[in-house]
Amino acid sequence: MIKAFITSFKLKNTYRVNSIIYSIKQLPIIRKILPNQLYKNKALKIIGNIISAIIEFCSIFIGKFLYILLMIVYMLAFYKTNQANTFLHIFTFLTFGGALLNTYMFNPTKDKYYAMIIMNMDAKKYTLSNYYYSMLKVIIGFLPFTIIFGIMMKVPLWICILMPIFVVMAKMIVSAYTLIDFKKHKIAKNENLPTKVLWVSIAILVAISYGLPIIGVTINQTIFLVIFIASAIAGLYSFFVIHRFTEYKKMYKQILTHENVYAVQNQTSTKAIKENVAKQIEFDNELTSNKKGFAYFHDLFVKRHKKILTKATKTQTVVILLIFAVVLMIVSFNKDFAVIINSILLTYLPYFVFIMYLLNRGTTVTQAMFMNCDHSMLTYRIYKTPKVILGLFKERLKTLIKVNLLPSTVIALGLPILLYITGGTDNPLNYFVLFISIIAMSIFFSVHYLVMYYLLQPYNVNTEMKSSTYKVVQVITYLVCYYMIKLKLPTISFGIATSAFCIIYSLVSLFLAYKYAPRTFKLRT
Amino acid sequence: MKLVIKNLKKNFEKKEVLKEINFEFEKGKIYGLLGRNGAGKTTLFNCLNEDLEIDSGEFYLVDTTSRKIEAEDIGYVLSTPNVPEFLTGREFLKFFIEINKNRIKDEKTIDEYFDFMKIEKDDRDKLLKDYSHGMKNKMQMLVNIIASPNILLLDEPLTSFDVVVAEEMKQMLRSIKKDHIIIFSTHIMELALDLCDEIVILNKGKLEEINKNNLNNEQFKNKIIEALKEE
Repeated sequence: MIKAFITSFKLKNTYRVNSIIYSIKQLPIIRKILPNQLYKNKALKIIGNIISAIIEFCSIFIGKFLYILLMIVYMLAFYKTNQANTFLHIFTFLTFGGALLNTYMFNPTKDKYYAMIIMNMDAKKYTLSNYYYSMLKVIIGFLPFTIIFGIMMKVPLWICILMPIFVVMAKMIVSAYTLIDFKKHKIAKNENLPTKVLWVSIAILVAISYGLPIIGVTINQTIFLVIFIASAIAGLYSFFVIHRFTEYKKMYKQILTHENVYAVQNQTSTKAIKENVAKQIEFDNELTSNKKGFAYFHDLFVKRHKKILTKATKTQTVVILLIFAVVLMIVSFNKDFAVIINSILLTYLPYFVFIMYLLNRGTTVTQAMFMNCDHSMLTYRIYKTPKVILGLFKERLKTLIKVNLLPSTVIALGLPILLYITGGTDNPLNYFVLFISIIAMSIFFSVHYLVMYYLLQPYNVNTEMKSSTYKVVQVITYLVCYYMIKLKLPTISFGIATSAFCIIYSLVSLFLAYKYAPRTFKLRT
Repeated sequence: MKLVIKNLKKNFEKKEVLKEINFEFEKGKIYGLLGRNGAGKTTLFNCLNEDLEIDSGEFYLVDTTSRKIEAEDIGYVLSTPNVPEFLTGREFLKFFIEINKNRIKDEKTIDEYFDFMKIEKDDRDKLLKDYSHGMKNKMQMLVNIIASPNILLLDEPLTSFDVVVAEEMKQMLRSIKKDHIIIFSTHIMELALDLCDEIVILNKGKLEEINKNNLNNEQFKNKIIEALKEE
């Protein structure tokens, strides 16, 4: 088993190192300097190995640290109950929820796929050795933080030490139960496709974790100990079930399908994504078009992709309307809240940059455009002529702006109304600026995503994302929008500046798209 | 009409894939392009279709005068068929006919095109995503020949067809060859010998025509294999 583990670890490390080198090779400029024989280069392999070791190390500790800090320690501030007991209480019930959602065993990962399906390794040896390793990582990863945070919250040390073991026991119980279920029904569970029952169970556990302490109910050390002992007994039994289970190969053949593996591991470069996007095509013989040429082509694309295009924004719009309704109700009853909302509307407009960023459907829509349309059409020479590229670009731009404007208009109208109801403003220009800047932001994001797609067309013929520049632009867009959350500026000046920026940016990028897209909009090689 | 390639070179970093391609392909003939795996057949097609930038050299069409190859001059049928899956076969054809309106001589009805390609009536209004691999291939072939491009690049197009359809496609290619320069890449020697008028091999980055002269089929086959084996 140890041999199997070492082999699988080496395999995982090799492709992790190769992926690191590949990512380095994808960076703009660097790409041109580095040769293809890179993967032979010893120095780079060493750097890759170091980065890989750092990733492995971080995977053990960072997630657990953040989990305990953000999900438990930060939350304690909201409760008046005993801190040590509340800490234990939230930890215990979240652990049950986590055990249901995150088992390691039923997660269709690429390393399992490579090892068991492609390399045909012994499934039992591979699974058990890696499973034990992952459980060991759980204990090692949790222990320092249950001790540090536990002691800070005045939880006795011996309980802090038991806590990580409890996590492992809970995970093993779920895994063993699922294995027994597989034995009976021969249907393997993919933990990334949770059932409705599972979601409801998790919702209940989360409600118990955070809800009960509000009404002053928490477990105490004795109850934790009882739960721990019960889990330990069930956990030990589960260990034997897991260890003696013989049908790993059969089970993983079901779990590790290409679609499952790639849907999780690689969001940007997959056959699976393509398959998923293809599923979004809605066909109805009635859905046809009277238009001509590429307008006809685009019109049918829009009509057959309602799920991706219009349905999502309609849902967004309904949710936004509901939020406005709730806020309107509260402000009409609660004057203090109205004052807060009023000042937010006059100083927190930058926050809406991030909201508009989150609402914009640009990434999803351009992805669908590629996967279901351009991926095939770009192999036809006629489709790459400037006339067709720019003709379609124009149609697509109109659609994308229209799609995104639906929820945006609700926000753009809702904010000035809310401002008026919560006490208004001395400067009436504020109403106008709120409206215009939200609309401008919406158009800006639509233009931004479409122009980036046309100028950097990031995919190759195998639907793999090949442009690191495109990724960099995405990350920068996110960071800039995220940074805006922290800004507190007068609505009037920020709104005018943003609107002006959006208009100028859109004009410049449209000019660039018209000038360069006929050259840049092609399949990557 | 001739497609002339002169001193065409294409490297991938230090690897010289196409070393110095010099060749003339004539209208009215089907050229069988043979080469070993990785010889650069698809690279050559991608260069001619301007999907890849060439490092040096040139290629152009010669009719009465020489001229640059335009997008409309080339139809490129890939081995893996690529069709927009959200359209029906009929809609895809309609779109292609509309955007090629000015170039189609003797335009037929959509159903006549389907008949020409032997696509069943029941399949014409189905989404392309529900087409079989072979049917997608037929659609790809059809839209590439509808506008009658001067050059047809066919990258192993018959591999996914069953024997009956493959035979139909061969007949179809023979029937249209008089109006086109057809370059047909394949790994299947029998297919090349059966369908093609000339055999061209791509070996060590160079194109070379293999003449049949007075050889019988078996001798000709051996000659081709020997040429391909040359290191």
